[in-house]
Amino acid sequence: MRNIYEMTKYTLKEAFSRKIFLVFFGVSSFILILFIIFFLFSNINSMTSMVKMNGKENIDLVAKIIEGIKAIIVAPLFGIGLFLSVFSASSFIPNLLEKGSVELFLSKPVSRRQIIWGKFWGGTIVVFVNVAFLIIGVWLLIGLKFGVWDLSFLTTIFTITFTFGVLYGLIILVGILTQSSLLAMMITYLIFFILSPVLASRDKLELLIHNKIVNWFIDGLYYLIPKTSEMATYTVNLAIGKYNGIELQPFLSSFLFMILTLYIGIIIFNKKDY
Amino acid sequence: MNAIEINNLTKIFQPKKQSKVIALDELSLSIESGIIYGLLGPNGAGKTTLIKILLGIAFPTVGDAKLLGENIGNYKIREKVGYLPENHKFPSFLTGEGVMKYFARLSGNMNKNINSEIDKLLSLVKMDKWKKTKVKKYSKGMMQRLGLAQSLINDPEIIFLDEPTDGVDPIGRKEIRDLLIELKNKGKTIFINSHLLSEVELVSDRIAILNKGKLIKEGTVEEITTSKQSYLFDVEPDLPEELLTGDLMQFKFNKNNNGLYSAVIIDIPQLNKAIDLLRKNNINIKEIRTQKSSLEDKFISLIKEVENKN
Repeated sequence: MRNIYEMTKYTLKEAFSRKIFLVFFGVSSFILILFIIFFLFSNINSMTSMVKMNGKENIDLVAKIIEGIKAIIVAPLFGIGLFLSVFSASSFIPNLLEKGSVELFLSKPVSRRQIIWGKFWGGTIVVFVNVAFLIIGVWLLIGLKFGVWDLSFLTTIFTITFTFGVLYGLIILVGILTQSSLLAMMITYLIFFILSPVLASRDKLELLIHNKIVNWFIDGLYYLIPKTSEMATYTVNLAIGKYNGIELQPFLSSFLFMILTLYIGIIIFNKKDY
Repeated sequence: MNAIEINNLTKIFQPKKQSKVIALDELSLSIESGIIYGLLGPNGAGKTTLIKILLGIAFPTVGDAKLLGENIGNYKIREKVGYLPENHKFPSFLTGEGVMKYFARLSGNMNKNINSEIDKLLSLVKMDKWKKTKVKKYSKGMMQRLGLAQSLINDPEIIFLDEPTDGVDPIGRKEIRDLLIELKNKGKTIFINSHLLSEVELVSDRIAILNKGKLIKEGTVEEITTSKQSYLFDVEPDLPEELLTGDLMQFKFNKNNNGLYSAVIIDIPQLNKAIDLLRKNNINIKEIRTQKSSLEDKFISLIKEVENKN
């Protein structure tokens, strides 16, 4: 455990040395400041008090404002936040495996499995911290402004971090196989932005394709690759308190994908000469 | 107990679409504790591959090895090992002190007084002034010094150094040599892989010469550089021509540029016979000694010899 902890700490330092995570943090801080200014100087209070005569309408209006704020935070955070995180994390493994660097790590009393787990936890924690900073910040501002302390909004920290963890497992595997951060990034973006959204609407695809084998293949591919598209929808739904229709299957199969990619990565890493 | 035991180690690389390369060919070595051991060989001889296998960076195809009696497959044995790789790259975002601290923890050094240990080592390699500077600003020589300090951070019993003086100026090289001798005196085993034969010759107790993965010579510097069949004679007066072409002809006496005569003598009875012949002819013998060649000359002749055989 000590070795994993040391590798995790190192990866955290490495991550924070990257400007991209600092930009992420800076943008999050900027958004929070914008909300503070907006809440301080906007006339939301007068808007809500104007309709106070009809209590029900007032509650609806406040709820809609809060829902809107949450949605405009979580949806871009999932897309742009994960895009930036993948971009930055894609070089963690290729950097480690660079000639002159890998020898230093492998010659230490640390197993190769521990190195990979340390890299995984380091990368995941840094994304968790960044996401948590923004989400908790917004949650606090909403709570202080409207007195609404909806804990379900905080669960999005975990779903976004989990989605990153799933993609990061793939980044690690591709990094070990190819030592190319560019390839790791491209494959991850392909799944994140193209394959997963297309396969999420596979029912429509299957209506157009009348070949059973092709349809089985599409189905198989759907269950195999991470379901980032569904997880994005569920994350936004969780943020705005819509729990209906949230299924566990996309999370479970994505979790299995993450475990599988990490273990295949570790097995290959354990056998490679450097 | 030997510090390093290598048994029948073979490493074959087979790059895609290329014929296989035998990097190490049934190599066996025993290296005792507390000595400086130099590993020499031309490029591609398998020197770095051997170190990498011993440190778990690469895996052997056949054979096994032990460090301090433990199989190299057990990564925990590396708590007692230090390593300075050739062309190492430290994380550029860390300072010299940060590098030391990080690799100390990773090497299992959990000492609470780690900062004072780091200061001591950095001052030993004359890098204490630069400890707060990020390593990306370091020169090659500074990186090498930091690398050396890093290899000592866990107070290792065995230290592997791959080209330790690479990029270091002559004064720095001398300082490194002195440090290695000091470490040896403290009972550390030092395994050096270097192209600088003169450097290796100056510090090593024993030497191994590798060529194409095969061990072609192993022994002390003295054993390797001394030719048992070649003697130098300091005599007066000069040997007369009739004696050189007569009684002494069998010993191939030949005068060199220094005024000494070299002779080929296969054993002690032959040496005594040569002395008797010289004395019988009223030649005064001032000195007789075995002829030594520099490590570089010996290295080149050994490599050529093997190349010619092949």
